[in-house]
Amino acid sequence: MKIQTTTEGECLVVAISGSADVNASAVLREALLSAIEAGSTRVVCDLGETDFIGSDALGVLITAYLKATGRGGFVKLANPQTHLTEVLETTRLNCLFDVYPDVPGALASV
Amino acid sequence: MTANLPKTDDRGAWIERVLATNLAEIRPAERDVLARLKELAYDDDHLFAVRLAFEEALVNAMKHGNQSDPNRSVRVRYRVSPECVEICVADEGPGFNPGAVPDPTANENLDKPCGRGIMLMRCYMDKVEFTPEGNEVLMVKNREP
Repeated sequence: MKIQTTTEGECLVVAISGSADVNASAVLREALLSAIEAGSTRVVCDLGETDFIGSDALGVLITAYLKATGRGGFVKLANPQTHLTEVLETTRLNCLFDVYPDVPGALASV
Repeated sequence: MTANLPKTDDRGAWIERVLATNLAEIRPAERDVLARLKELAYDDDHLFAVRLAFEEALVNAMKHGNQSDPNRSVRVRYRVSPECVEICVADEGPGFNPGAVPDPTANENLDKPCGRGIMLMRCYMDKVEFTPEGNEVLMVKNREP
């Protein structure tokens, strides 16, 4: 898994590529939570290149969501491909997160 | 008590691996199983489903079953036939009651960071059976729905 962050206006876009499996979730946790704690509380996760996600990484996204919303910000999800969309629907996390078909759509919603 | 696995039959022999309780053991184990699926031309949906369920079962076994104790092992048995994938994961923990795990899709649990593993296993596999003690699980994914 690779994580690339860019800033778009007041938002931090976190592009997660590869497999967000249990062994990668610690890296994801560090990247997201440290950014939020440093003040980047408006976060869009670009899942366009994420080919796998397990429950550990889902837990990281939820923890980031709680931390960001607790500070007046948000974590939005963008561009999940078929398998990730199915996971979000199966877990009903699409009811917790705002999910957008692409990053510009997520940014435009802010 | 161990899962009542069928002996070698027309779906072939079981392959057995004993893993240390170490999350780094999960990827190689997944690779072995998925390589067999690819050899038999299972599609991407099956690869994703089996990987997800297998990972959740292994994480449960290592973290919750063996409580991350490196002196405990996880026993994996699997076989892949043209018709289905069968995977059995057993830990050395005291077991648990899978029926007592809260529904992670309930509104009040949606923002809980944990507790989705068993639900994902059940949703992505065709059969998920725990032994009465709860420290061993047998999962089956059929090629055809």
